[in-house]
Amino acid sequence: MAIRKDANTLTAAERAEFVTAIQTLKAEGIYDRFVLRHANASMGDIHRCPAFLPWHRRFIFDLELELQRVSGNPNFGIPYWNWPSGGTNASMWNDDLLGGNGDAGGVVRTGPFRAGQWTVINSSGSPAGPLMREFGQNGLPTLPSQAEIDQVMAITPYDVPPWNTNSNPSFRNQLEGWIGPNLHNRGHVWVGGSMLPMTSPNDPVFFMHHCMVDKIWHEWQLRFPNQGYLPANGGPFGQNLTDPMGSTPSGQIGSRPIDVLDSAALGIIYDSAAPQPQPQPQPQPLLIVVGANPTQADISTPGEADVFRFDVPTFGPHTMFTTGPSDTFMTLFGPNDRNVEVASDDDAGENFNAQITRNLSAGTYYLRIRLYSPNATGNYAVGVRSDGAGPSPIPELIVDGVSINAAISAANESDVYRFNITTENTYTIETSGATDTFMTLHGPNSQIPEIDRNDDGGSSLNARIRRQMSPGEYFIRVRHFSPLGTGSYSIRVIRG
Amino acid sequence: MAHHKEIFEGRTIEIKDGVNLSINGKEIDCHHDRVKNKFYSKYLPYTQYDSLLELAREIAKHAAEFSHAKD
Repeated sequence: MAIRKDANTLTAAERAEFVTAIQTLKAEGIYDRFVLRHANASMGDIHRCPAFLPWHRRFIFDLELELQRVSGNPNFGIPYWNWPSGGTNASMWNDDLLGGNGDAGGVVRTGPFRAGQWTVINSSGSPAGPLMREFGQNGLPTLPSQAEIDQVMAITPYDVPPWNTNSNPSFRNQLEGWIGPNLHNRGHVWVGGSMLPMTSPNDPVFFMHHCMVDKIWHEWQLRFPNQGYLPANGGPFGQNLTDPMGSTPSGQIGSRPIDVLDSAALGIIYDSAAPQPQPQPQPQPLLIVVGANPTQADISTPGEADVFRFDVPTFGPHTMFTTGPSDTFMTLFGPNDRNVEVASDDDAGENFNAQITRNLSAGTYYLRIRLYSPNATGNYAVGVRSDGAGPSPIPELIVDGVSINAAISAANESDVYRFNITTENTYTIETSGATDTFMTLHGPNSQIPEIDRNDDGGSSLNARIRRQMSPGEYFIRVRHFSPLGTGSYSIRVIRG
Repeated sequence: MAHHKEIFEGRTIEIKDGVNLSINGKEIDCHHDRVKNKFYSKYLPYTQYDSLLELAREIAKHAAEFSHAKD
């Protein structure tokens, strides 16, 4: 188990333990191996890409094991650099921990890693002089604030194509710092000196910095349990969920993103001394009335995204669209959950406008609109209309009747069924087939309240719900477990 | 800037054909992001620059390979 604490809250004994352990690893030559592992990694394997977060999670985990070994403390955790309270005057920069800023020439002359006591290496492993720091001197004079961290914490999904610095919206890309308020990159640039090049682990603050990055990812994962690592597949090799990551040796844990997704399973615990980022109260999005004139809006800042909500009273086909001169990109979420993505579109509407047409069951939906180019601004209008004369029928399942054969034919698609219960009893709703289905049960007599859910309770990867049910009309929603998964399945309802 | 050569803070920066960068004779891996119109290199993985020359000067200044700092 590793207990990771805010570096500024460490006791004198904990500070000494950290410094001694780092110095011991340096003397053993192990510390420099970590510098070289980072310095000689292919940049496309570990930066500007989805694996940025899992690669560095594994990297600091491996150093943590070494620190535990040399300290003899199995609970030793790398302290994290809490940026909002980690500026020049923070105690982590005192002489008993990291030492302070560099002198006029950038040379660190205070603390345990000062010139004469600590020598950095280049990517060939050769000594390359003293540790250098230039706090705030490289164009980014401030560290990320808590408000900026909270802003990034609200971003979903984890990542999107093209899986690089132009990915948007992307939690990974915002946390890494290529769009949005710039968190991770800014920390490197703010320290400057030895923290700027690929040999940045030469400065021990590197590990505290990435511990903070990892903590933010961990908290984001807890906040959005339905937002998994992406790409699951189809991305560049080394970036997919089950690909081995580049420049990652075999070790106590695996080298794939999937092997490091669960911090708790890795035995990592974060302290409670620092204020925990609270789930940000999200402002209620502007309401769009179905069938009303389109609502005027604009993207006034590059990378900005607008969110709207609309209510669907009954199942039926609907079209969500934008109009205007901008090249919009639209993502639909719901029902009743602004983190569950249903569909997205770029140019299905007029000119470069986005448009989604889809059967929607009753509930509240959310539309996120951004511009296709993360560097653009522009006006648009957004609207929702109900298509067709009346609601389309929801396929009905008959208790103890025949199964319905269906398919999840597109990413993020879900199917809805209804069935009637006339006598209170135990009923089983289950899918069959080779598709990894996920099922939610709603009712009675409403599509909105969810009363049960299941992933793999059936045979193989099929979903199954078995429960006592009172008379009424119920609704079943079936989707693929993976947001990107597709496949056929059958579904039935039986008594007992 | 098809060809450019300069001494920057004691390091020799050379750009050939507008894209091939070397510092002190060492070839430097660098890339151009066409979407953002920015230049970047694994030598400075946390930043990107408006021009190749600007990137080259920053690499020369900060990369441990070209460090002149002394204890």
